[in-house]
Amino acid sequence: MQDELADHNFQVIAVAIDENTEAVRGFMNGITYPVLMDVDHVLTELYAISNVPAVVMIDEHDTIVQPNWNAYATDTFKHYTGIDSGEQLDIIRQWVINDTPMMSVDEAKTAVGDLSAEEEQARLHFRIANHLRGTGDHDGAARNFDRASALAPHDWTIRRAMMPLRGEDPFGDEFFALAAEYNEAGRPFHGVAARSTK
Amino acid sequence: MQNDVALLGDGPMISVQALHDDLGWELKPEGLCRDDVCVLIPDRAALEVGGQIDAMAVAALLDRPAVLDQASGVAAIGAQRSVRKRALDDLQAPDFVLPDLDGTAHALSDHRSKKRLLVAFSSW
Repeated sequence: MQDELADHNFQVIAVAIDENTEAVRGFMNGITYPVLMDVDHVLTELYAISNVPAVVMIDEHDTIVQPNWNAYATDTFKHYTGIDSGEQLDIIRQWVINDTPMMSVDEAKTAVGDLSAEEEQARLHFRIANHLRGTGDHDGAARNFDRASALAPHDWTIRRAMMPLRGEDPFGDEFFALAAEYNEAGRPFHGVAARSTK
Repeated sequence: MQNDVALLGDGPMISVQALHDDLGWELKPEGLCRDDVCVLIPDRAALEVGGQIDAMAVAALLDRPAVLDQASGVAAIGAQRSVRKRALDDLQAPDFVLPDLDGTAHALSDHRSKKRLLVAFSSW
């Protein structure tokens, strides 16, 4: 997509909400655009992101024309999600080439709800946990991961992101337990669903 | 630029220098200042204690979320809520700076005047 649209004054910027540089590097063979590491989850605070992937379209004037779209924009996960990226890529092309975004300005302004105070605090406890993990204070890390989980129980950038940091398998039992809990809660998230409802 | 988030490893009482280096603000007679913006300090004694600055009070004054983990003494301070508010309500994209896989810093604003597709993803 970056190569296809490079002549249209277009730039892809990938941000890994992740601390595992080597795992991220493994995804990135042959990638020519910047791939950034957001160990402290700065982006999830600034943009109110609660799950990945989250795609944000930003125009030449720093205006967000599409906030937190849960689009994959690649078929990498198609076997799991059943979502074909073709339609999503067409939506991105329509915007880049023809300047026609998916949402109206009014729709975009109301598409994403703000973080609650608890969700803000969860992000801060996550940062402290990750820091304490780095200093070898594993009890302190566990205490702050637990606090973050309690404050934002349905936030994947908190709950699932901490699994590998706590020695849990983000594709194993803990993941399926979290997914069931999340479905039970009505799948709340700060963003726009993968499939366009129009 | 630097991101407006901070982790204070030695607790919330910080030096004037750390106020500038970690939180990005300066204490002046007219208030807490950054660039040409100053925020009035209603209760200076609560903010400045024995020559040190209470970062939790600074956070409250600047409308930044803050938590303190008492047992370890580590405090975390988030970004001004108004930055996210402007993103959600006014669709102004917050700038940020993050390292790439080789450690080189990149900012969203490095690509200003282009259409940008920001893709947040993860390995988990």
